[in-house]
Amino acid sequence: MKKLLGILLSVLMAGTMLTACGTSTSEGEPAGGSTSTETTTETTEASSDPIKIGTIYAMSGDKAAIGENILRGIDFAVAEINAKGGVNGRMLEVVRGDHAGDAATGKSEAERLITQEHVDVMMGCHMSTVTEVVAQVCQQYGVPMITAISTLDKLSDADHAQYDYFFRLCPLNSIYVKDMLEYLKDSSEQTGEEIKTVAIFTDKAAIGQELIRCVNLFADEYGIEVLGDPIDYSSGAADLSAQILALKQLNPDAILCDSYVNDAILFVNTLKEQNYQPKMIVAKANGFTDPSFTTSLGSAANGVASVVEFNNDLTNGKEINEDFKAEYGVDMNGHSAESYTVVWLFKSAIEAAGSTDGEAVKKALSELVIDGSFAGGRNIVLPYSKIKFEAEYDLAGEKHYRDNTSASVAIAQVQNGEWKTVWPFEFASAKIEYPAPLQ
Amino acid sequence: MDLFLQALINGILLGGFYALMGMGQNIIFGVMKIVNFCHGEMLMVGMYLTFLLYTFVGIDPYLALPLVALMMFGLGALIQHTLITPSLKTKSFTNLLFLTVGLGLLLSNGALVLFGSDYKSIRTSYSQTTLQLGLVSIALPKLISFCVLIVVTIVLFIFLKNTTTGKQIRAVSQNPVGAEVCGINVKRIYLLTYGLGIALAGMAGCLLTQFYSIFPTAGAGFGFRALIVVVVGGLGSIPGAFFAGILLGLLEQMSALFISPSYSDMIVFITFIVILVARQLIIMRRR
Repeated sequence: MKKLLGILLSVLMAGTMLTACGTSTSEGEPAGGSTSTETTTETTEASSDPIKIGTIYAMSGDKAAIGENILRGIDFAVAEINAKGGVNGRMLEVVRGDHAGDAATGKSEAERLITQEHVDVMMGCHMSTVTEVVAQVCQQYGVPMITAISTLDKLSDADHAQYDYFFRLCPLNSIYVKDMLEYLKDSSEQTGEEIKTVAIFTDKAAIGQELIRCVNLFADEYGIEVLGDPIDYSSGAADLSAQILALKQLNPDAILCDSYVNDAILFVNTLKEQNYQPKMIVAKANGFTDPSFTTSLGSAANGVASVVEFNNDLTNGKEINEDFKAEYGVDMNGHSAESYTVVWLFKSAIEAAGSTDGEAVKKALSELVIDGSFAGGRNIVLPYSKIKFEAEYDLAGEKHYRDNTSASVAIAQVQNGEWKTVWPFEFASAKIEYPAPLQ
Repeated sequence: MDLFLQALINGILLGGFYALMGMGQNIIFGVMKIVNFCHGEMLMVGMYLTFLLYTFVGIDPYLALPLVALMMFGLGALIQHTLITPSLKTKSFTNLLFLTVGLGLLLSNGALVLFGSDYKSIRTSYSQTTLQLGLVSIALPKLISFCVLIVVTIVLFIFLKNTTTGKQIRAVSQNPVGAEVCGINVKRIYLLTYGLGIALAGMAGCLLTQFYSIFPTAGAGFGFRALIVVVVGGLGSIPGAFFAGILLGLLEQMSALFISPSYSDMIVFITFIVILVARQLIIMRRR
């Protein structure tokens, strides 16, 4: 009997360890393991050599799925550009680094890409903490870097003013929230009812604190009153009925929320259960835009709106989405659209600079203005029509540097169980459904 | 007023679910004196079983209830026979603690590998139904789960009180050595008890699919509350678990209503600690 127990226990242990490792075996892989190319070190560059774009995203670990979407966008842009003859007659080549979700790994990968692979420009990363250290490395070696998707405000604040090789395409976190409020203001054009009061419903964790901070930053500017204390809960809540009752009591014109996906699903289900029909719900993406949200709620989520960076029905993104889907079998998402755009930005800047010299490309990037469409390429596929890295600007009383100040997000609403872009109106494919039907 | 009534109903219905969770934990704890740390994961297994039966066989979640209970009973008996019984001999509590914790990890990671991390749900025609009773609204699935709880409580109570097996279970719970001397097959009783406890967790999981998403860590929050129910309700007491569960649900809802939803978790755990300390003091005084 004891023997049997021993065997069973060891099977149990092995099983647990195997499954635990399933997501992490490749994380600790040494730097050399994940490159897609092998090159001999060269000190002089011939004009026929490819221009190397270094990318640092998670290709292993639990964030690998996010990295995959980003890299698809990059590959798609590179294929487009190379098919049209490349940049200044040279082909583009992507050299992939893997940060596996870890800042230290990100740093060593950045150093490897720069010193061993001799990348000309750098793109990264998915997590803002990793982006920060990679930006430091790029600054040190004078390699221009654009982040496509790192939204943390402080990456471009006064503390980072001296990182002049680092540029940001995507909107900042606070711009996400500012656009949510902008949407509330603009919505009255279609709904005929002004939104004057909001309540915040969110997670107790960092994402919630960020939402609360940003709403308070801009509420006065938009003349919106925030009712009561934020209604919050701990992630993975077993029940949200108390929170819904509290919201019902506040009775705001609109609810602003940010949740992980299981809480988001429970939130919408509980609204129905507690017989509460808020007229407008606007979420800050996250769990609300997770595919499970619409598949498990279906039409019950009708009317819930959320921030999106890209949506397949965006008027200027429809065309690229069809081509992208034909290539990869999945819709383009915000991450792939933004990283796609960054590759085109590098192309434009290198063409303007006439070389791949770091200093020259940096200068070209800071002077670059993309208005409507890329030269020899598509329209900007994101929900804005201009890209310019502002050397210095003010945001809510703080100085920021080298962000694309024209960047904004779109707002999509679930209609018939699918996300439809409803704002900004010039990019929208559908009208706002108001009040939210939730059925 | 209507908010108060609604919170009251919410608390009772939610508490009913906690009670059902706690009931299984309570039986195991009461008879075998072990804390089943994988109770929440068993709930999750019950949810996935219901999900599989619904998607692949097309069985309605409520019709699947006895089936899931039976399968979970089998699983529980198997675990008891192969893992826990040998472990009980060592008389080491830590051994069992690590065993059940490890089992929980195995189950949730296993579910992650088998089903992925995405959130599944079973949508039936009635899962979204709410009944409007005057000022309050009641979600039909929660009402059904409450009715199941009442039936389970009564059946369990009668079973333990009046049947021979029930009497044997109580005997073992009071004194396993004495029971063995009297000719009761303690091993068999343990098998039954653990199976029964896991079957109850499985039933709770089956009912939960109608108002909660299914994912590998779904049981975590509920498993912990089951522990509170056991401690507050008294070891091995079926009516105790029933009322402790409802008390817990009410406490959560009322503290959210009168203080703030932000603090309701904290208040629940403070109350839990206070009860633990108070009980300890009373026991000391008695001695």
